[in-house]
This record gives sequence, structure tokens and C-alpha cells, in this order.
Amino acid sequence: MLGKLMKYEWKATWKLLLSANALTLVMTGLARWMVYLMDKAPYSSDFEMVNFVAVMVLFTYVMSMFAVFVGTAIYLIYRFYTSTYGDQGYLLHTLPVDAHHIIIAKLLVSVLWVMMNSLIIYFSVIFLFAASTEVIKSMMDGLVNAIVYLGEEEISVFVVIMTIVAYIFNLFARVLRVGACISLGQLSSNHKLMLSFAWYIVIYIVESIFQGIYFAIRAAIHSQVSPLNYISNFGVDWETTLITGIFHCVIFYILIWYMMDRKLNLD
Amino acid sequence: MAPVVQCMGLTKTYGRKIALNQVFLNLERGRIIGLLGPNGSGKTTLIKIMNGLLKPTAGEVLINGQRPGIDTKLRISYLPERTYLQPGMKVLELVQYFQDFYPDFRVDRAYDMLARLQIPPQERLKNLSKGTKEKVQLIMVMSRDADLYILDEPIAGVDPAARDYILHTIVSNYNRCGSILLSTHLISDVENILDEVVFIKYGSIVLQAGAEQIRQNERKSVDQFFREVFAC
Repeated sequence: MLGKLMKYEWKATWKLLLSANALTLVMTGLARWMVYLMDKAPYSSDFEMVNFVAVMVLFTYVMSMFAVFVGTAIYLIYRFYTSTYGDQGYLLHTLPVDAHHIIIAKLLVSVLWVMMNSLIIYFSVIFLFAASTEVIKSMMDGLVNAIVYLGEEEISVFVVIMTIVAYIFNLFARVLRVGACISLGQLSSNHKLMLSFAWYIVIYIVESIFQGIYFAIRAAIHSQVSPLNYISNFGVDWETTLITGIFHCVIFYILIWYMMDRKLNLD
Repeated sequence: MAPVVQCMGLTKTYGRKIALNQVFLNLERGRIIGLLGPNGSGKTTLIKIMNGLLKPTAGEVLINGQRPGIDTKLRISYLPERTYLQPGMKVLELVQYFQDFYPDFRVDRAYDMLARLQIPPQERLKNLSKGTKEKVQLIMVMSRDADLYILDEPIAGVDPAARDYILHTIVSNYNRCGSILLSTHLISDVENILDEVVFIKYGSIVLQAGAEQIRQNERKSVDQFFREVFAC
């Protein structure tokens, strides 16, 4: 049943989100063309006009990137809310499927979209600036420097992989956090959305307090400096990121499951 | 054989408000049962608990001897009082959806009913009128061979001609070994198809009797009797 749930979750979201990503690609192509024209502009008679149009297009490009990124997040939140706790929830929760499958299907499809979105934006920016030979050169220099740095610091492939794994867990945790807040909002009879926001703030504050305590302890153990100096001196290591990511995933997942399976309250 | 539905001391409260109060109820198989009561009497709350959409504050409900869960959802076909369809879906995609999740879904029956109503399978649900959407939803629900059909206000908000069609669809398509629990406050429209009635008032069951029994004992229609019982 998990596969079927994922199939329908994908079908319900792909049209809008793929269109948004297609818009990103179109804007990237347009913006790159403008960068190319700007490179050529000094030799052109329409220098000012080309420059003006290019700046406008680049501005629109940046705004569209932002809109697509934020829009995707808002749409996924809206989709989760309406399909799980809105009218469509009446169908979803009367399907003969396990609550775990519902959560996992929605989680995987959402994470997939967020990752795809991030990658498209990332490659879009690279592609855009690849139009300029100077930028390519400095990017290549940066890459070489990064590899040299990793070698000098003896940072192994294992650490690089674990850093990526930690990032992915944190991505899952971010999606689950929103789901948990929306689910906890269902505890209210009349102000579900407001309670969801309130839970988000509460969870954020609690997380910050625990993070502060954690870094204070690590700072005391390792360097005898203040937590703030500890972070700025040593950064947040992959172990910490991974542990907090997994911890958040487990907590938020259990919260969503508990609300769906034990406290479901469809109005 | 055990009743298809057993409610044992079922209670649901929202803060201080009592929606269901110590409901004890057994529903037998092979019957069309009307769950009758005025607005706010607890009909929908009872139905939602049976479907696992609400958790009771106290007491228990058993469907086929089991608590609401995956196994009971396989055997209940539920029509809520609201539209639960994804607007972007086509009718044929909805048929596929039901076929994918419910092993007892009969595709041929669904397409047959759609054809009789001249609802194009290629049409998107968002392009259908409210009444047609309700009919599509009813067709999906009645295309299953379930043990229990729970229909919450299936004829509320539709014109009399559509009511006749809906009732005809219900009576001619349900699994004869199963039961229908039909919630409504429009008694006169459904009276003729009911085998049994359950009156619910302020969250409590005030009467459970055969429809014919009421007509004989009270010498009046179920509708008239309902009006007496629930007179303001």
C-alpha cells in the first residue's frame, strides 16, 4: 500500500511543482542569455538599453527562484494539511492503510520535491554564472582549493559522506517538524491553524534551549570557552548535525503518528 | 452471527459538551437502518467513530467484532456528508484509486452507474457540479461489496429527483449480505426503504425498532412518529 500511496501523492503534486521547476529552467535560460548579452554589451551601441533589460531579467530571475522555493514549501504544507486533516482526510483515513504508510508516503514525496527544487536552483545558479568565463575560473579555483583543504586537513571521504547524510536527515527533520506542528494543531477544536503556528514557535524555542545547553556542555568539555566561541571556532561537526537530525526525525515522526493513529479528530 | 456493529457505552465529549452519551447499540446484518435525529443530535459523531475518524472519550465500538482499524476499513464503505474528492482528479482516476485500495471495489458496476448518469469518465471532478460530485462519490461508495455501508446525509442538499436516484442507487447496488446505516433528518424521503430505525437525541439512543413495527404499534408513519418524538 505504501507504493500506491506514494503514487497518488506524486500524482497529486507533480503538475504544479514540475511547472514551477520548469519556470525556474526557463528563467535560468533567459537570465543566462542576458548575462551573455551584458558580456558583449560594452561593444554594442545599445549598451544602456541592454544593461537595463538584463538587470530587470536578472531581478525577475532571482525573485522567481525565491518564489518557486518558498511556493513549493507552502504548497507542500497546504497539501499535507488539506489531504490529511481537511475534507480529503475523510478519504485518506478511511483507506485500509496503516498510518505509518501515510506518513512515510507524504514524507518521501515532500522530501523528494524539496531536494529536486534545491538541486535545480543550485544548478541553475551554476549554469547562469557559467556564462561568464571569469566566474567559471573562480569557481574552478574554489573547487580546487576546497579539495586541497580537505587533503590538508585530512578530512576523509567518510566525513564528506556523513556530512551529506546528516544534511539529508536534517531535511527530513524539517519536513517532519512542519507535519508534527500541523498534527498537534488538531488538538484544538476551533483554532487548529493558530495552534499549529503556536506549536511551531514552542518547538523552535525548546530546540534552541536544548541546543544552547548541548553546546555549553561541549564547550566545557573540549575547549573551556563560551558556547558561542565554541561554535565559531570549531563549527557544528557532522556528528552533532547527524545526531540532532535523527533525534528530531524520531520525535516528530512519533508525534505525527500518535496524532494520526490515537488522536485523530476530523471535524 | 455477531452483529455488524456493536456500541458499548460509547461516549464522546468536546470539553464540557457531550456529543455522545453512553450509547449502547447493536446493528444486525442484512438490514437497511435509518439513523434518525435532528441536526446536532450526534449522528455524524457516531458515524465518524465507527469509521475511525474520531476517537471515543469512553466506551468501545466493534465492527465485525473488531475495533476500528485497517480490517474494519476494508469492510466499511463510507459516504461522508462532505466532498472528499481531489478536484484535479479525473473521474476515471478516481475509479482507479478506489480499485487500487479496496479489493471489494467493482469497476464494472462503477462504470455502469457512471454511464447511466452520463458522467464522462474523462471529466475532471473540479468541472462537475456539486450535485454530480455527490453522485460520483455515492457511485464509488456503492460500487463496493462491503459488509457495512455508512451513508451520512446522502440526500441532504439535493433536489427531489436526485434524491430518488440516490435512494434507487443505494437500494439496487448494496451487498445483500451487508447492512446500510443511513443517517438523515429527511425521514419521509427514506422511510420506504428502511427496515429499522434508530432515533438519536442529544447524543443518546432513544429508540431502536423495526420500521414496520412503528407503523403497526403507533399507527402512524415513521416520519410522523419522528416529529412527535423530536417535537420542540
